[in-house]
Amino acid sequence: MIGRLSLTTRLTLLYSLVSALLLLGMAGLTAVAVDRHFEVLDRDTLHDKIELIQDSVAKAGSATDLQRRLDDALQNHPGLFVRVDDAAGSVLYASAQFSFPAERVRVHAVDAGPAFFTWLQGEREFRALSAAAPAHAGLRQDMRIWVALDTLHHAHFISALRAALWLYAGLAAGLSGMLGWWAARTGLAPLRAMKARAQAVTAHKLDQRMPAEAVPVEMADLAHSLNEMLERLQRDFQRLSEFSSDLAHELRTPISNLLTQTQVALAQPRDAAAYRDILASNAEEFQRLARMVSDMLLLAKAEHGLLLPRTEPIDLADEVRALFDFYEALAEEKQIELRCSGTAVLSGDRLMLRRAISNLLSNALRHTPPCGRVEVVIESRPSAISLQVENSGSTIAPELLPRLFDRFFRADKSRAHPDTEGAGLGLAITQAIVQAHGGQAAVTSAAGWTCFTLRFPLS
Amino acid sequence: MKILIVEDEPKTGDYLRQGLREAGFAVELASDGLAGLQLAQQQDFDLLILDVMLPGLNGWQLLQRLREQGHLVPVLFLSARDQVEDRVKGLELGADDYLVKPFSFAELLARVRTILRRGRSGVEATALQVADLELDLLRRRVSRAGKRIELTAKEFALLELLMRRHGEVLPRSLIASQVWDMNFDSDTNVIEVAMRRLRAKVDEGFEPRLIQTVRGMGYVLEIPEPTL
Repeated sequence: MIGRLSLTTRLTLLYSLVSALLLLGMAGLTAVAVDRHFEVLDRDTLHDKIELIQDSVAKAGSATDLQRRLDDALQNHPGLFVRVDDAAGSVLYASAQFSFPAERVRVHAVDAGPAFFTWLQGEREFRALSAAAPAHAGLRQDMRIWVALDTLHHAHFISALRAALWLYAGLAAGLSGMLGWWAARTGLAPLRAMKARAQAVTAHKLDQRMPAEAVPVEMADLAHSLNEMLERLQRDFQRLSEFSSDLAHELRTPISNLLTQTQVALAQPRDAAAYRDILASNAEEFQRLARMVSDMLLLAKAEHGLLLPRTEPIDLADEVRALFDFYEALAEEKQIELRCSGTAVLSGDRLMLRRAISNLLSNALRHTPPCGRVEVVIESRPSAISLQVENSGSTIAPELLPRLFDRFFRADKSRAHPDTEGAGLGLAITQAIVQAHGGQAAVTSAAGWTCFTLRFPLS
Repeated sequence: MKILIVEDEPKTGDYLRQGLREAGFAVELASDGLAGLQLAQQQDFDLLILDVMLPGLNGWQLLQRLREQGHLVPVLFLSARDQVEDRVKGLELGADDYLVKPFSFAELLARVRTILRRGRSGVEATALQVADLELDLLRRRVSRAGKRIELTAKEFALLELLMRRHGEVLPRSLIASQVWDMNFDSDTNVIEVAMRRLRAKVDEGFEPRLIQTVRGMGYVLEIPEPTL
């Protein structure tokens, strides 16, 4: 539930809640303190009054005199109520229209010390203090005095104060909530800016980037990561779209050849041998197309990381020797010397690795002039295993080297590829396979030697 | 030899039927899984060629039903999907082979013959002979018209394959796989070159020429029919 709330709402709620709690606490404390203060004030007042009445009691000559004196004394004190009892329990004086709670009046012995108490009568709260008054010539029994104070005026004040405090706390909480909302909104503005950028990104507009410099530090990392992601996507997408257009181009040529050839063949009657010839030539072209399609499927699978169904320890020297056997006839025909040195065991998929090395060898054999040499050097170091395929021949221009592993790339674009020429996918496949094994393929070319290196780090 | 093809794509089905008939097999064609299952239950076939994606009942289900009922007929799958899991699934269900489209017909024919040959028992031959070409498997010797021919180990293996399957057109991919254990298409003409060299040793100076190139298909070793 909380998880679905927006950040702004969450922050606003949090701000409101915290400030409401703080303010309510403050208001409560204030109310309690004021209450306490009033109680102290009332107690002092009651002490004063008790002393006054004790004085009157001490001066009174008789009960009637006491009555008169007290009536006089209390005339100017509305809200002050008095009762005087003697030890025998008879009431010597009691304010009119007022009665002390019976249990309070009874429990106190006449000679007990002062006692303070509070009670509610109807809606009004009273505070009272009682004290002893000694017997004297006029009044010959010990007496007890009760003085009560109506606290109505405090109550009014306190309730007004409470109302004011509530109102203030409410308003202030609301206000801080709004401030919180505003702060959250402005604080999250960079996030919305990023959202707007993200919405602008489409397959055709992959050049949009997050405003990494304009966002707060906390979001800069995220923005940078997103930018890197967009960078990668753009690069891959670019490669993919170049690949599809290359693909269309690569397919167009053989298909158009097939179409033309077939239509020309159909244009007039020919003898069986001519038809057979045309069909055979078509079949060859179709085989090339089929191979191109399966090579592309292999590359597509490599992109999804599906190349290594099973891995086992592979002796690279054994694989190279098997491949030399395979290419022996070709090499002998061109009088190319095949050499292999070194050995290493690599964990990988046999078919795939064999294919990767085979592509390098066939590439090398294709570009080595007659009487040249192809040399494979396998090295096993603690940090990595490397396999180099070196061939003599012409030097490849440095600017073309990085593109050799691109799909459909051929160093010589203009040359019509003879049947023995692949579709330009061989080295791309080698690279994909090597990468699937966690390695890297690289190429260098200098002084009439071209060297492809497959490097598999060991970790 | 009787083969049942279950393939829903009409063109593919038709050319497979025609091709296999012309190769000398009796062929039935069903265009969906249920019809295929029915046919397979009613008649005795030596081989089923099943497309994986079929309406009604897919190739795997069809094979499963048949195996549940105790039919042990060999099965070759055709599929447009080249996923390792698919391959494994097919083989786990008891399929004998798996071919990914697009495949060449020569390849299919070669595999069909391989499967059909498998069950056949017989004493392993120690010598092969086609016309006056003789191959001694024990002593690893080859002679033509009584004349000894020196071959390298791989040339011997290549000739042995051609002679064992004489009369069959062997596609390059099958040759690369059987002789050199290279189970992928090489983009070079290495098979042509190897074949040319073998031919130079085996056929040059002899009549008739036994090793022939079938353009667009592969190679075959056979006694050529006299041209009229």
